[in-house]
Amino acid sequence: MNDWAILSGIEGNLAAYEAVLADIKRLRQPVEELYILGDVIAPTAESEQVIQRVRSPQQNEPVPQVCQGWWEEQLLILHGLGRTGEPTELIERYGIEMVKTLWDAIPREMVEWVRSLDFGLFELDCLLIHGSSVSVSDELTPDTPAIQMLDRLMRMDANTLFCGRSGLTFQYEIQQGTVTSSMTTLDRSTSPQAIAVKPRQVVGVGNVGRLPGQASYALYRPNSNQVEFRTVRYGAGKGFQRASP
Amino acid sequence: MKVAVMSCIHGNYEALNAVLSDIDNQNADKIYCLGDLVGYGPHPNAVVEMIRALDIPTCQGCWDEDIVEGLNSCECSYPSVLAEKRGKLAHDWTNQVIHPEVREFLAQLPLSLRDENLCFVHGSPHNQHEYLLPEVDAFVAMERVLATGADILFCGHTHVPYVRSLDAGQLQIRVKSTGTTERDVSFSAPLKRIVNAGSVGEPRHGRPNATYVIYDTDADQITLREVEYDYQKTCAAIIDNGLPPIFAWRLARGLEFAERADDPTHVCER
Repeated sequence: MNDWAILSGIEGNLAAYEAVLADIKRLRQPVEELYILGDVIAPTAESEQVIQRVRSPQQNEPVPQVCQGWWEEQLLILHGLGRTGEPTELIERYGIEMVKTLWDAIPREMVEWVRSLDFGLFELDCLLIHGSSVSVSDELTPDTPAIQMLDRLMRMDANTLFCGRSGLTFQYEIQQGTVTSSMTTLDRSTSPQAIAVKPRQVVGVGNVGRLPGQASYALYRPNSNQVEFRTVRYGAGKGFQRASP
Repeated sequence: MKVAVMSCIHGNYEALNAVLSDIDNQNADKIYCLGDLVGYGPHPNAVVEMIRALDIPTCQGCWDEDIVEGLNSCECSYPSVLAEKRGKLAHDWTNQVIHPEVREFLAQLPLSLRDENLCFVHGSPHNQHEYLLPEVDAFVAMERVLATGADILFCGHTHVPYVRSLDAGQLQIRVKSTGTTERDVSFSAPLKRIVNAGSVGEPRHGRPNATYVIYDTDADQITLREVEYDYQKTCAAIIDNGLPPIFAWRLARGLEFAERADDPTHVCER
């Protein structure tokens, strides 16, 4: 099985997305699957072009599989299609003006495509999702407590959880663990039993479009469970758009 | 100090009276209630009035929320179309008979309560609708207690009482991130417990008796209490009030689940 390229947070930055696609084409090992973990859009005029580019891959490019991100969820809430009725989180984070900015940035005809996106994707033993199994807003980072990371993995019984909410690239391996559990009910008691956890990991896949001139994403080799992070520099004065592993 | 904790009264006034008498006999110093005061049973107003009169600290259950907010869960709430029909009938009946001041009382109930190292919730600290079943993975269960910062998490919602001890929890982690050196992290947690208070008014442990728990803080001892009461009186009132007869049938048997959901751990996001 060939590599997967996993990215998140294009955030309406077409140049950044093009730079990542170019980098993927240059790889020695071909990429079989391309996953985009949400935030394809942001309140930018270019978001419409990014959606069109994502939906229309060229012949020699993998067809992206896309799930919803935080910006997509905010857009759906504005159109009365979200999981909550009010754009409270959007307003708290960016102020009331952002409601109009986001509404104006994404044409109505694009909303149906955004609505069609899954909350997350599950492939082999991997959960691919923007935030976590809890919500698109759940931000997992290298400093997230271990028990919380394990909970997010176990909610979907995934061995690997790929996420993009934090925009950081990291590999968080839960190598081993135990807890002793005992139970008493009205009718019986069980003696303490040691429960072990199997190795699992959470991978932050970076962010494509937020930082001007620099995009990051992850490569995953399912056969060997290996993760590699790529940083792509693009734009004027950035040499030959070279990537650094 | 003795702390009595009860949950899921579900409009069963007979059962509530019996449990309050037993709590009195046990010389409990404090009482907490974990919600679901209404729903299924025939006396929602009387139950809420008793809780208010005794000033019992109470958190909001999923039925209390539904009566205030209106039913807004997806089809996942019910294991079958028949169960959904019965549930909606019970909801509609409760919604019609409930007094305005009772609805107001239910609306202002907090989602959780805290007393030093004890935390009280209806379902789980994350959601009133989440079932912390006895078979929930031990690490997931430990996360639920740790999320509260307490040592003992009291919950209800499943209608089956239990005490689960989670001891000597530890995890080994390796974190690699771009631009920083790889680091190993150890996580450990001391003894944590989940105490499910069962159900006063709609028990599902296989017998019709009401259940609740007592925690003796001095002895650090948890006792599951089972209280006999005249459940046939409640069954008769269920039928007399035109509620679905199956509620009387299962109350008389203390059935765990009349119909079991495919995935009882599922939490509706609506």
